[in-house]
Amino acid sequence: MQEMEKVMMKGSAPLDVDPGSFSFVQVDQEKCQACGTCVDVCKTGAIQAQGAEGKSKVLDPAACVNCGQCLVNCPYGAIYEEVSYVDAVFAALKDPNTVCVSMPAPAVRYALGEAFGLPAGTHVGGKMHAALRKLGFKFIWDNEFTADVTIMEEGTELINRVKHPSHHAPLPQFTSCCPGWVKFVEAYYPELIPNLSSAKSPIGMLGSLAKTYGAQQTKTDPAKMFTVSIMPCIAKKFEGLRPELAASGHRDTDVTITTRELAYMIKKAGIDFKNLKDDPADPILGEATGAATIFGTSGGVMEAALRLAYEVLSGEKLKDVDIKAVRTHEGIKSASIDVPHFGKVNVAVASGLDNAKKLCDEVKAGKSKYHFIEIMTCPGGCINGGGQIINPSVREAENGHSKIFAAINKRLAMKAQA
Amino acid sequence: MSEQMNCTRRDFLKVAGAAVVVAAVAGAAPTLVTEAHAAELDLVSQRQSGVYAADANPKLYNLRKSQDNPMVQKLYAKGGFLGDGPCGHVSHELLHTHYVDRSAALKALKAKGIKLKA
Repeated sequence: MQEMEKVMMKGSAPLDVDPGSFSFVQVDQEKCQACGTCVDVCKTGAIQAQGAEGKSKVLDPAACVNCGQCLVNCPYGAIYEEVSYVDAVFAALKDPNTVCVSMPAPAVRYALGEAFGLPAGTHVGGKMHAALRKLGFKFIWDNEFTADVTIMEEGTELINRVKHPSHHAPLPQFTSCCPGWVKFVEAYYPELIPNLSSAKSPIGMLGSLAKTYGAQQTKTDPAKMFTVSIMPCIAKKFEGLRPELAASGHRDTDVTITTRELAYMIKKAGIDFKNLKDDPADPILGEATGAATIFGTSGGVMEAALRLAYEVLSGEKLKDVDIKAVRTHEGIKSASIDVPHFGKVNVAVASGLDNAKKLCDEVKAGKSKYHFIEIMTCPGGCINGGGQIINPSVREAENGHSKIFAAINKRLAMKAQA
Repeated sequence: MSEQMNCTRRDFLKVAGAAVVVAAVAGAAPTLVTEAHAAELDLVSQRQSGVYAADANPKLYNLRKSQDNPMVQKLYAKGGFLGDGPCGHVSHELLHTHYVDRSAALKALKAKGIKLKA
């Protein structure tokens, strides 16, 4: 076990492992204080109090979507990650025969700075690119580019579904970017699989484009490429290991690390992050628009998709790109957008799987009025993902009243023995 | 006494935890607890404000619609890598996927009497 940005991490997993066969988060029974926070924040019920002491445990990988909300909300740092590929990334960066490709998600750049003392929400995209280059990545490609591509694919798919809804491509269309949500549908609502957009997530697209189009454009042997997905998310580790994601003829994503692991690597390499000069991403698969960067927040994928759908359906330019009707950071938000020459486009945005469940039940009952629904597992979206920098106030307990809890626990245990 | 011993540690700590917070608010250091709580609620909105500010900042993103990205246009241009357009043949091969019904394992779990929230 290694500690990285206040979270304990176990080692790497074989790259051909079935990611459905284990849970990516686990509870350290020694550290668990049975406070029940994780049980409350888990919206599937995968983590539950067990035994006489009521300590928490992830029951079964089948029930867990690996979102890691339990981990980021644990006041005692008792929840650890099962898989870390940091050692593999350091090894690949040292190997002269390996071409390392970076693929950071939009939300990473709004939390990474916190690990270096910058205020929450500071955009550190340029510094992040510079740090990746200093670490030794050859191609600084960026998942924001494929967020734009996702809009083209998922938006076009939506327009096709609106024009010709069918049994295998029905309405409403659900977004498919969030890996916790996708696994939730596969396990809890398999009858809604046809409603999920068939578009891969942005990282699924970047992995396959890097080793085909990117390799072609840069004259690089794709077999030598090592693609590193850098995510605000633990569930992306599950997604990266999905056997079907090998469209390039290789593993599309070689390994996945989190925002925390990237911060750990930058510190370990002795890079003075705060004083780095902004660096742009590399061409071909790096350039992005504002529509891509908002993917990291609840409502962002919807807004980005509407900026395309409006223009395609109406044949007119969208003058005011701020579609504030779909901006939200909790619960469910719905909106009806007037599109000239088309009519109303009905949309809903939800984060948190308890909210998602309400929308799923409506769709299942045939009562949904929506064309398009965006779901993110983590409350507020990826900016609050399970792989992000830990909120210091969550761990106040570690230094403060957890000592009181520990003392109470001890007395309770002694009483129980007596 | 025996009733007290039946209460689980989790239940006990929930009550004890609430008592600690109340004591702190009413006692010597009220600002500590409220500030920590506010910080927790604020973090998501601070990061979110950062996102929307960047989207609206032409120095960071000078274009705001995916279809206007010149590298996206190059990718889909006629004769280009995805020349048959979004949702075209090559897109279908590389950029679209299929999903797996994983409900059987969950049914087995529920059959064992395990209660889940969804």
